[in-house]
Amino acid sequence: MSNVLIFFYRRLKNSSFNSSTRTLSKLQIRNYAKATSFPDYYQNPIFRKEDQVKLIADSDLKNRATVPVKPPTVSETSSVYFDPLVNKVINHVMEKGNKRLARQLVEKAFENIKRKQIERYHLASTPEEKAKIELNPKDILYKAVENCKPLLQLQPIKRGGITYQVPGPITEKRSLFLAIKWLLETTDEKERTVHFPEQFAWELLEASNNTGKVVKRKQDLHRQCEANRAYAHYRWQ
Amino acid sequence: MSLIGIRQIIPAATKYFRYPLTIGTFQYCTRTTSDPSNVLNDLTDWETLNKKKKISKAMKAYLERAKEHDEFMKRQQFEYNIGKRHLANMMGEDPELFTQKDVERAIEYLFPSGIYDPAARPSMRPPEDVFPARKAAEFDEAGRPHHCLFYTGKPNFFKLLHDAADHLQQLYKYEDQVIRKKATPDPNGNLQLGGSMWVNKDQLEQLLVEKISDLEYDNFKVVMERLVSLPYSYRYKDFIEKFRKPLAVQKFALEIPKPNYDEEGRAYITTYECLRKKARGDVTIRSPGTGKITINKKDITYFDDVQSREQVLFPLIFTGMQNRVDVECNVEGGGPSGQSGAIRWGIAWGLRSFVDKDMLQQMQVAGLLTRDHRRRERKKPGQPGARKKPTWKKR
Repeated sequence: MSNVLIFFYRRLKNSSFNSSTRTLSKLQIRNYAKATSFPDYYQNPIFRKEDQVKLIADSDLKNRATVPVKPPTVSETSSVYFDPLVNKVINHVMEKGNKRLARQLVEKAFENIKRKQIERYHLASTPEEKAKIELNPKDILYKAVENCKPLLQLQPIKRGGITYQVPGPITEKRSLFLAIKWLLETTDEKERTVHFPEQFAWELLEASNNTGKVVKRKQDLHRQCEANRAYAHYRWQ
Repeated sequence: MSLIGIRQIIPAATKYFRYPLTIGTFQYCTRTTSDPSNVLNDLTDWETLNKKKKISKAMKAYLERAKEHDEFMKRQQFEYNIGKRHLANMMGEDPELFTQKDVERAIEYLFPSGIYDPAARPSMRPPEDVFPARKAAEFDEAGRPHHCLFYTGKPNFFKLLHDAADHLQQLYKYEDQVIRKKATPDPNGNLQLGGSMWVNKDQLEQLLVEKISDLEYDNFKVVMERLVSLPYSYRYKDFIEKFRKPLAVQKFALEIPKPNYDEEGRAYITTYECLRKKARGDVTIRSPGTGKITINKKDITYFDDVQSREQVLFPLIFTGMQNRVDVECNVEGGGPSGQSGAIRWGIAWGLRSFVDKDMLQQMQVAGLLTRDHRRRERKKPGQPGARKKPTWKKR
């Protein structure tokens, strides 16, 4: 019954619109139960040009074209400006789904990096010194994250009523997560007058030089793991 | 969604669900009620029969049940036909030419339902769809079962596993023979399973006419995966493909429309019903162009944020057509993300007429030609959101 009402309401509402939009809205809209995700046989899309070149080289494209593929998400494009790691960092910066602001902040941080590096480039006197300075903020982000990634982790394991901090290997995914998390946590320890993009740019530059608080945190963790080597056997005993 | 749209979707869905039923010649399926006397002649042990000279109690009970079921189905069929006639008369159509498709359309029209779950909406289907098929007698008049695996309780299922295991052994043997002969494997004989998947549990149950548990279904999958993984598995292609179900047909390469031509002699194509989230729109692509984009009579600055603009440009940049076509779109409803998504799909769908076959395949692999049908998931009663639950308190 309510559907019929909605239908007529829409017709009434749209009668004043121009003809092209009216033909669209005349169709009765009914909210059917729809799947909120794709079935598991849908493959992930390969939308970046460089990945597709690989597929074509392996002559795998034809086989892949017969399988249903999920559409790329709203933030993914084949544009040269899209980068998976940058997207990841933006998602970590994001609060309450405000992606637009998160993206603005990260891009502002990149701008700050670029400005600082160009300033340094022009201050450098010799060509060798100039060649050493990395100007691409994306490369600096990659370098910074790589330098912050821990190689080991401490797991609390309870044995005989005592919780031991047991060192062990870390997965690639968790290592990346910790690196980004630490970078952002360190950025939050700033004065109120300093804005996020400035501080984040500074942290990234520090980390890419293998100095700074985040790298120190990683080294501390490694030191702790080294000190707790005696507990390592608790992982399997 | 329009009524017309639904009508287009429903026959496809019924075809899909009926698919396992159409394989009547399937060898594990004893459901087809063949002439009982014929079966009995072949398989009855006459010596035992002569000794007893009586129909066993099991057979008697079965015959009674079969008769009852036949009568029940006949009654149901009669009622269904009457219902169909009534519907046809109500719709003012010829009852003789009224098909199941028309029945569904009539019910959609006469009993409009806003119920969320499609299974709970009113429907009228033929009785053979509603009531599951039954097995024919599995034993002879003396009460002795025909099937060697009868006492497993699920003879068809275990026969299937047995056959698969047998095929595995045969393949191992064959592989050894090939190695011994030092022959090279046949390059043409390989299994192409990319476009299909294993039948799901319900479909397998329909194929076997037996109820199986989740664990048994997993076992079925394990065995079949193992069979498929062998290098010479193409020798049992028929056996394997019986349990494969084709994935959704890839329409992208089939029905590409020819572009129309306007007064200026430019080729153009309009894609209607570009949907994403709550947004809907139409997209027109004109072929010799300069890359001009018009969205609701504005340029690309219609979208404030960069992400949405990138989404609109995505298919154009991907195909390298950003300076060779003009795009005009009308969108309404939804937010920037939904509207840009709708336009993205519309542009990609329209560009099919202007790109070559390789690019089509690339677009398919990139997922540009897949309609994103996902919608906001509804809030559930008793919890604050679609999935979110209140904080757990012990008491």
